[in-house]
Amino acid sequence: MNPQIEKLFRDGVPLAGAVDDFISTHRFPLVQPGQVTFVYRGQADEVHLRRWISGFNTSLPMQRLEGTDLWALTMELPGKSRFEYKFEVVRGGGRDLVLDEFNEVQAHDPFGANSVCQGYGYKRPRWTLHDPEARTGSLTSLQVDSKAFDDRREVQVYLPARFRRSRSYPLLVVHDGPDYLRYADLKTVLDNLIHRLEIPAMIVALTQSPDRLVEYTGDPRHARFIGEELVPALSEKLPLVDNNNARGLMGASLGGVASLHAASKYPDLFGQLLLQSGSFAFSDLGQHQKGPVFDPVVRFVNEYRKKPFALAEKIYVSCGIYESLIYENRSMVPLLQAQGMQVNFEEARDAHNWENWRDRLRNGLTWLFPGPLWMVYE
Amino acid sequence: MSLQILLGPQRPAPNLRQAVDSVDFDGPIVVITAGWRDSEGEIEELREDVGRPVEDLSLYQRAEEVFASEPDLRALKRERQDRLRELQGLYRIRLLPTLAAARRLMRAKADPDLLLLEQRAAISQIRALDRHHLRRIMAIHRDFDLRRSAMNIPLAMAQREEVHCMVKGAGLVLIAGGHVAVLLNRIRLFGLAGLLAQKPVIAWSAGAMALSERIVLFHQKAPQGKNDAEVLDVGLGVVRQRVLLPHARTRIDWGNRERLALFSRRFAPASCCTLDNGAMITLQDARVVLSARSFVLTRTGQKKALVSR
Repeated sequence: MNPQIEKLFRDGVPLAGAVDDFISTHRFPLVQPGQVTFVYRGQADEVHLRRWISGFNTSLPMQRLEGTDLWALTMELPGKSRFEYKFEVVRGGGRDLVLDEFNEVQAHDPFGANSVCQGYGYKRPRWTLHDPEARTGSLTSLQVDSKAFDDRREVQVYLPARFRRSRSYPLLVVHDGPDYLRYADLKTVLDNLIHRLEIPAMIVALTQSPDRLVEYTGDPRHARFIGEELVPALSEKLPLVDNNNARGLMGASLGGVASLHAASKYPDLFGQLLLQSGSFAFSDLGQHQKGPVFDPVVRFVNEYRKKPFALAEKIYVSCGIYESLIYENRSMVPLLQAQGMQVNFEEARDAHNWENWRDRLRNGLTWLFPGPLWMVYE
Repeated sequence: MSLQILLGPQRPAPNLRQAVDSVDFDGPIVVITAGWRDSEGEIEELREDVGRPVEDLSLYQRAEEVFASEPDLRALKRERQDRLRELQGLYRIRLLPTLAAARRLMRAKADPDLLLLEQRAAISQIRALDRHHLRRIMAIHRDFDLRRSAMNIPLAMAQREEVHCMVKGAGLVLIAGGHVAVLLNRIRLFGLAGLLAQKPVIAWSAGAMALSERIVLFHQKAPQGKNDAEVLDVGLGVVRQRVLLPHARTRIDWGNRERLALFSRRFAPASCCTLDNGAMITLQDARVVLSARSFVLTRTGQKKALVSR
């Protein structure tokens, strides 16, 4: 049993006031080196911990602590790990997924919020937090007429602090860009890394698809939009370095697939790729089991695996070890390296979520776009 | 009498005005912002900080004009830069293992009588390597200067004369930070070292580094693991016996005593002085007459306040 809970029960079943004190004087979940204890308080028939960890039983029953309305579960967790969870509360035949009300750390994504378990030693990187000393860039909007999609696409554009039309900037195109801003604090990260000179001042185009389950799965229209419409429109309107090494493409999950796919269709356009938890589903034998959405993904990845070729100079690949995609990502790395591309692969004790992707941004961006910090002292 | 005031970065709280107000000078203020490269001359904020008229010497822009109109000079400069870059890579090949060996010895547990001499020898090797590297760099600069002096470039001569005239007529010279190699190269190209030694100068960050005898690049917390300090070039030598460390708060790993001790001993007898935001070191005839918020690295890897004498 967790020692703090043991202490609560040292003199027998605690009174409600003692439980109140216990709750108010501790941070939850209770974290120790190598393990973590989740605590739920409330009347219920059953309570389960639902973890967003691939490869494990995602639903674990919690034990009611005798004589109280507390429920607890202790599990092993390696240091610096991070995963998202909710409690599944079974009451009167109904099941509700609820956030951990005692844990203020939450992660958000387009589907809502989850509670976040941070293992022993995890600290949110400082470069992801607002730095009052950092000059801030600005966001502007650009309309791009697309023949590929037969519509007009709105793209947000990040311009670095002290942006000057007389200078030339590297370009990074980000799939699911507004989600990166909202859930992975991308603007703060860019402001901070540029301020620290860890990356050069750069222009970042933040794209968003109205139908990513189609367009990000190896859709030739999307590749055409990126390669023949978006980049030329940006080059026309903004001062960009005209060199593929100064152009990058980035995305997470299906956004990683969309990045790899667009780069494969325009291999001379982007020198740098940043692929996070890419959904690189493939099938060596038989049919894949991931559902029809993944049919085009599997077709594209199978084809690329069959006839691989160099599609960028450098590729940074990251994936959480608590997500099923670790298998696909690990298997892509030697394939990409064998084509003569520089590949930097990073695994994290984390899962398929925006905070994992946020926490890897510094390593990825500074490797692909090294800044002038060695030579510049402002 | 020579006077230099060395400052840390001017963000978030500038102390340039305080430094300017502390100098008794007669004549206009000129500034070198060549380290800002293509942002050179964007000095509105700086003028506000100083609160007086300031004129930019436009060294970066002037040099660009000369290079654009003189392809031979541009090629010569390119050749020098390529040679310097290649030499830096070769220096690094020897430097990294030599530093690694010294670090290991600094951490080693052994009979102190045996260990002490090995540590000293390891540090001597690094110092010898740094000296050798500087000699090679100086030879490349000498070769460049010799070949350049044989070129007759009226535009370059006119530019140089104009800049010299502005500096001679100035009461105070400011040197901003930025890209330290670009800044140094431009000052060197216009042959300003001698003039700067005779003028009151206020320099911050890379500007202060450029005034010193050798340029030491450092960042002990850089991403991607490149974090061993290296000697880049000879400086202007206006400020002697000091290695200047702008942004020390964020660039130095203060928790690592062995590493800091090695850093300090490597560059001794020069003292390694921090220059963070708010720092100010006033040197009069090479003597520290005033010091605020600057620290010196000790031989044991600690920091102590730099005191005026």
